[in-house]
Amino acid sequence: MATEERTHELVQGLYDAVINMDEDVARDLSQTVVDEGIDAYRALTQGLTAAMEKVGELYTTSQYFVPELLLCADALYAGLEVLQPYVTLEQTGKKRQIIIGTVEGDIHDIGKNLVKIMFVAGGWTVHDLGKDVVLSRFAEEQAKIHADVVAISALMTTSMLAMPKAIALIKAGDPHAAIMLGGAPLTRDIAESYGADGYADDAAGAVREAKEMLARLKR
Amino acid sequence: MSKDVMTERQRVEALLNYKRPDRVPIWPFVPNGFAVLYNNLTIADAYTNPEGLYYSLRKTCQDFGWVFFPWMGYASFGAWEFGGDIKMPSGEYDQAPVVTRHPVEKEEDLPNLKMPGPDAGFFPTARSFSGLARQERLDNEPFNAVITSGVAYGISCQIAGVDKFLKWLIRKPGLVHDLIRQISEWNYASLPLQKEMFGTEGVLGFCGGPWGSNKLISPKQFAEFTLPDIKEGQARLRALGYKTTYVHICGEHNANLPYWAQVDFGDPGIIGIGAEIELEKAAEYFPDDIILGNLDPAIVQTGTPEDVYEATKECVERGKQLGCGYIFSTGCDLPPRAPVENVKMMTKAVEDYGWY
Repeated sequence: MATEERTHELVQGLYDAVINMDEDVARDLSQTVVDEGIDAYRALTQGLTAAMEKVGELYTTSQYFVPELLLCADALYAGLEVLQPYVTLEQTGKKRQIIIGTVEGDIHDIGKNLVKIMFVAGGWTVHDLGKDVVLSRFAEEQAKIHADVVAISALMTTSMLAMPKAIALIKAGDPHAAIMLGGAPLTRDIAESYGADGYADDAAGAVREAKEMLARLKR
Repeated sequence: MSKDVMTERQRVEALLNYKRPDRVPIWPFVPNGFAVLYNNLTIADAYTNPEGLYYSLRKTCQDFGWVFFPWMGYASFGAWEFGGDIKMPSGEYDQAPVVTRHPVEKEEDLPNLKMPGPDAGFFPTARSFSGLARQERLDNEPFNAVITSGVAYGISCQIAGVDKFLKWLIRKPGLVHDLIRQISEWNYASLPLQKEMFGTEGVLGFCGGPWGSNKLISPKQFAEFTLPDIKEGQARLRALGYKTTYVHICGEHNANLPYWAQVDFGDPGIIGIGAEIELEKAAEYFPDDIILGNLDPAIVQTGTPEDVYEATKECVERGKQLGCGYIFSTGCDLPPRAPVENVKMMTKAVEDYGWY
């Protein structure tokens, strides 16, 4: 049985591995956690996801940019792949679910991928539909999954025109769907005019916005 | 009734000679998509139909009273030319060509990358368009050709795919420098040949794009990877006799401005900025150049005509106060599906408030 000191050492090591963008160390330390019988949930939450919260702060304060974020995410994913099979439902509770995709006509997905990283780090189950997602697919997936949140992004002024129709289709199939939008040409006012329930200015604020949106909608 | 005295060409030429025109010129950035749809063509025609695009642009700029700058191209240029595949826009919500396969899928593909010949990818279409454009120069047309340099970083992003390329900035900086160097040298070698074909009269230098924005990379990364080629490319254009470059500083670049300001964009340069950068701030960094901008394109699409009018009025009233020259423009591509009534309001506001 690992000592508290050893557990702390490994958890801190995972935290540092994500901050330092070290995928190999994250993977190796995660395996060590498993091999030494340490609480995988603690390693995941206090190590990996806590580090991604810090990464989000570093991104918001312009100390980290997209290259760093992507590499930190690689380290996060490497660790998650090892630890997640050892985390039980009793430990996590029922996970919130999010469907995410870039709207039809738009192939720009960096922003969407950054948002996805934040939700994965936040412990959500993410259903990533990819880019250039046909509008009806958002509605079909929501009808199947009944995700807590549907998040749609657009980078182009032309593709953003698809968003009101996507929202209408989703809500026709699931009137209680909570939909948030994001992307460079959008503002909160535009998102509201399109019928969305929420809007995130960037990846760093997306999880907080989703939680606030759900609280506003009392979901 | 319009009280126009100078033509749009005369206005721009006045600014290029450090003189004040009678009124602020109107030069929306890349109205190509809007122009083809306005003339009942398809969005794909903006990228596949040189004649359709040319005459659509010509008519649109005439109808709306704009500077006519014939240019045919797209932001993801490079992927197709260097051996990848693109898909032309076709759907209701499509706007531009998209890359469906990058020429470099993994690091091991880099040694096999070949520099494109004159018939690769988009080049034949662009040549056809340029041939048409060089046949005339109208009274709203200060330039009828373009020569581009200092865009190797953006092309590299398209060759490798942005996600992968951005990771390489940190993991494989040597690879990135090599790739940018190859592409910049290929570009520099083409410049004297382009000069032979087009000369310098009526030819505008061009540079810019979104890939170096601070929404993607840090100012330090911009300085290391993007800036050297921009500086060198522009220096070569100056040395070849191209007096002015229009640089499209696309998106959030506030922290990059000290670096952009190190580049010689000409005598004067035309510095195009988006809504992310204040006109006054741009003028501080480029006190001797012409500032162009900076209406948020999203307003033209999603706002009311009154919103567009007021937002244009604000741009123009602020632009006129700048110590350097000023041209009204959109911060990025005029949205192809912007309502015509909204687009008309840009011209109306400039005609109402743009006189000196």
